[in-house]
Amino acid sequence: MTDQDKQPNFIDVDMRGQVCPATLLVAMDSMNRHREVLLSGAARLRIKTDNRAATNTIPATAQNMGYEAWVRKDKAYYEIIIGL
Amino acid sequence: MLTGSPLLMYLAGLLLGLVAGFFMHRSDYCVAGMFRDAFLFRNIGLLRALLLQIVATMIIFEVARLFGLLPLYPFPLLGSPSLANVVGGLLFGVGMVLAGGCVVGTLYKMGSGSLVSGLAFVGIIVGSGLYAEIHPWWVGFVKATAFMNGKITLAQATGLPQSLLVGLAVLLAGPVFFKWRRERRWLTPAAVAGYVQPWQTALVLAGLGLLSYLLVGMPMGISTTYTKMAAMAENLLAPEHVRQVAYFWLVPLDVVHPVSGALMRGGAGPLIDTIWAIQFPLIVGVVLGSGLSAFLLREFAVHLRVPAGQLVMAFSGGIMVGLASRMAPACNVWHLMGGLPILALQSMLFLVGLAPGAWLGGKLVSWVLLRKSG
Repeated sequence: MTDQDKQPNFIDVDMRGQVCPATLLVAMDSMNRHREVLLSGAARLRIKTDNRAATNTIPATAQNMGYEAWVRKDKAYYEIIIGL
Repeated sequence: MLTGSPLLMYLAGLLLGLVAGFFMHRSDYCVAGMFRDAFLFRNIGLLRALLLQIVATMIIFEVARLFGLLPLYPFPLLGSPSLANVVGGLLFGVGMVLAGGCVVGTLYKMGSGSLVSGLAFVGIIVGSGLYAEIHPWWVGFVKATAFMNGKITLAQATGLPQSLLVGLAVLLAGPVFFKWRRERRWLTPAAVAGYVQPWQTALVLAGLGLLSYLLVGMPMGISTTYTKMAAMAENLLAPEHVRQVAYFWLVPLDVVHPVSGALMRGGAGPLIDTIWAIQFPLIVGVVLGSGLSAFLLREFAVHLRVPAGQLVMAFSGGIMVGLASRMAPACNVWHLMGGLPILALQSMLFLVGLAPGAWLGGKLVSWVLLRKSG
């Protein structure tokens, strides 16, 4: 079990199959909208995506916004976890 | 030269497409995304790769020309510049961002299972067919705004040697490329499986462009065949109407290949001709190459639960891309990866329109997507 798996509360966003650049735009919107709870460490954002480019752009954007980000492959898609 | 054998042309196109689709999927080499992200997120990472591809293509085309390997130069279907190139580029820029991919980005995304891109693909065919209906009106605008009659490239327009102009472009780009190398900006950090760095895909695509030019007499291009597909579909439903649409019966490609002696002849109509033999296998190849890449990575998946607004946006964007790729005329693959490397005037003007179009498309797409998510 990795560090990010220990976090009990996830805010899930399923972006699989969606048009570019929806994944990054919605991720940025979610990071802003849930900023307080994410920065308090009470929850993490869990984004499911099949957009390969988003696994580069979302973690970079999250780090610029002061978060940590992890990427892992799960079956035919990727999970990007954002939080502290 | 394979231009004498239709079978070899089909095989060449299929192989070129397979390799292109495979690498584009691995790097997510999306031209629409490159321009969109430069404006929307101030991220020029992938645009660097496109610039590398253009400059690398410029160099290898020029070397091939100097060695006498490109007897059709400038390549067929290019013409004199007009304001239509800018307007077409502008509409193409908006459309490709709304569609989430250009004429080839849509193919590789569709090949990996994207429903949105599948709908954009249908939109491109519809838009390409619609153009045939407005062609008589549009051609008036093209003629009224054409200039430098008979001049196709910057070298022809200025009277300067092609090698000198290419050399100047390389001299300008070279120091910038080395600066990016020093700053390690060519490397994109990646967490995905099987990632190929975009600069590597850029060089592969430059090589494929040259191979296409050597094998079938022109660089890679696919958009006329979208119109042919529309014409073929229309021909099944309303053959009488197709017979009356003048655009379908024009023959813009009509040259004898100087080396093979083969007659290269074709247009946008519902016929199996040289354009079909060059472009259709390329389209099939890109879809299959991307599908193969996704399958090998176990990432091929079709997701049907997509917001309706995105489906409408992608379809509308596809229609714009289809219309614009005939209005420009030709698409971003043809202009950026073939015309710009030989400094074709039409292609330079296409880029002048494409960039602000992508900016506008970025504004529209973020408004639509965030409005939906909010």
